[in-house]
Amino acid sequence: MHYVFTLRTIYPYLGALKAAAATTLILSVLSIIASLVIGTAIAVLRRSRSRLLRFLGAVYVELMRNTPLLVILYLVYFAGPQLGIRLSSFHSALIGLSLNSAGYMAEIIRAGLVAVPQGQFEAAASQGMSAMQTFRYIVFPQVFRTIYAPLGNQIIAVILASSLASAIAVEDVASWMQTVGSTSFRFFESFAVAAFVYVALCQSVNLARLLIGRMLFRQGAHAR
Amino acid sequence: MTTDWLSYLPLAISATGTTLWLSWLALLIGAIGGTLIALLRRSRWRALRVVATIYTELFRSIPILIVMFFCYFGVPLVFGVNFSPFAAATIALALHASSMMSEVVRAGLESVGRGQWEAAQSSGMSAVQVLRHIIGPQAIRVILPPSIGVFITTIKESSLASIIGYIELTRTGLLIRENGDGGLLPLLALAAIYFAINYMISLGGGALERRFHVGGRLTMAGAIQ
Amino acid sequence: MTDAPVLQFTSVTKRFGARTILNEISLSVSPAEIVCFVGPSGTGKSTLLRCVNGLEDIQGGEIRFEQSRVEAHAKSIKAVRKRVGMIFQHFNLYPHLTALQNVMLAPMVVHGEKREIVEARARELFEKVRLSHRIAAYPAQLSGGEQQRVAIARALAANPHLLMFDEPTSALDPETVGDVLAVMRDLALEGRTMLVVTHEIRFAADVGTRMVFMDQGRIVEDAPPRQMLSNPTTERARQFLSSITG
Repeated sequence: MHYVFTLRTIYPYLGALKAAAATTLILSVLSIIASLVIGTAIAVLRRSRSRLLRFLGAVYVELMRNTPLLVILYLVYFAGPQLGIRLSSFHSALIGLSLNSAGYMAEIIRAGLVAVPQGQFEAAASQGMSAMQTFRYIVFPQVFRTIYAPLGNQIIAVILASSLASAIAVEDVASWMQTVGSTSFRFFESFAVAAFVYVALCQSVNLARLLIGRMLFRQGAHAR
Repeated sequence: MTTDWLSYLPLAISATGTTLWLSWLALLIGAIGGTLIALLRRSRWRALRVVATIYTELFRSIPILIVMFFCYFGVPLVFGVNFSPFAAATIALALHASSMMSEVVRAGLESVGRGQWEAAQSSGMSAVQVLRHIIGPQAIRVILPPSIGVFITTIKESSLASIIGYIELTRTGLLIRENGDGGLLPLLALAAIYFAINYMISLGGGALERRFHVGGRLTMAGAIQ
Repeated sequence: MTDAPVLQFTSVTKRFGARTILNEISLSVSPAEIVCFVGPSGTGKSTLLRCVNGLEDIQGGEIRFEQSRVEAHAKSIKAVRKRVGMIFQHFNLYPHLTALQNVMLAPMVVHGEKREIVEARARELFEKVRLSHRIAAYPAQLSGGEQQRVAIARALAANPHLLMFDEPTSALDPETVGDVLAVMRDLALEGRTMLVVTHEIRFAADVGTRMVFMDQGRIVEDAPPRQMLSNPTTERARQFLSSITG
């Protein structure tokens, strides 16, 4: 058998790729934002005074970290009709991906909160700062610095994980690869192109992380 | 008529076995491959180091699902070798596991000070002997706990094999669902089984960590599937 | 002095669960007094300070600061905190801000003052604590003694009516203790009202106008420092003082 790698065979499908890449990107961005919000709520829950709330927060995190994303996606996808809600594939994927990623975000944010010493809260209080001021000027900048690197990893993880949305019929880059491969039998090319899209997305995040980090955290401010 | 769910129990158990077998095999191959790559990253030759780095970076940026697609659909076309879904899934999972393991092993090797290498080599040991008698036993304490995390990740990722038609735990759950009344119960059971397996493994890993007194991270960063 | 007291404790009791930390404490502090609290560890000296600005709540009695009642969880606590400066044992500087930013933050965001005015005052304060050359450094780049002097400048920046020092030199290397004590001495000479929890008996004797000896949540003795050191009236104070003065 003789297979010649010819990228030209993929040309007719590039229009569809653009839409697929947009889907992957939008799905990832929305999931990252939603999971940041949910994850923050869970992290706050895990520091609550109520033991029950702390426990519920911990259960959520463990559930999400120990269950495959694919199973969660199927659950959301099939639960909709069961509950009488009409959810599109995209919305199911968005919900599943966000819920799953929130479990990881919660842990990242919790670690950031834990890293702020009690003395910082006391110093801020003794200066008369309100809870909002303490959060804005004292807690948030310190938490942000701690979570900066793991947050970047999580963003990349969400981009990669968004490929599973193709399993519930979202037409993203992974689904594009399979469609093109099975219609044109040019699997090598479609794989290479799809892989390139994901690598480009992930490495852009890495690059942005590096540049923004350099800009925000100048020397000296690193060590505590 | 409600379905007699209990009758599916033997099927669920054997499917769980299949998933564990697939994941274990992938982890094993991944551990061997990962160790090789970690050693390459410490090689004297720059070219080898670069290749090894590209390998790990690449698998951190490509979804394992499309690697699996390629192994199953692409490889027969390109190379004329037919892979069963099982083989394709194992290879794809092992490739990803090896890139994760290479980072774990690298951290383990780095945890052993340079002085240990020098001391051992100066006593006339070969590189293999140094690894086996001096570095290995010290590094393994750092390597084992996060390896548990890689195992959990691999188990979760093994669910992707269902997409290329391999009948493991997830596929079995979906099939039972289609055979039954199409309710959510099989999917919930599926989630519960995965959770139980992984949670137990992570508890075991926690015990291991405490025993070795290392603060490893059980969950691999950047691996959520 | 006939001035109204700056601070007034009336049978203040503080409990942590079943443990009584402060037991019926009554105390009155007049303007320009330098009150040094001494006594064994864990006898409630730091807790007493932390009750003044509501970092801890109290279970009995009453605290009044400049005539207004101190209530830890009430909105009114903010007004107290704006007028009380606190210096902590472990400095608690904000690690993500430079020394100058540490000093400027609260006057700007809490007191709503203009940046230019605050910055000018902050620079004067850095001169006062002899750290003008370290203004742009981050806390991690400063020695313990330098950090504590920045913390003092930070507390002074809001023009407080009362300064509280909670073991300000206990976490410092011996060679930097002197710099911090020198700054505190200057502040005392300015006629500021200060509460100081300290183990530096020499400092307390030289600078303090009053020495309060506490043991097991109670005030055991309250006298001018020289008098207490030369002639303690209680056996416990005598034992403690001889044990630390050697």
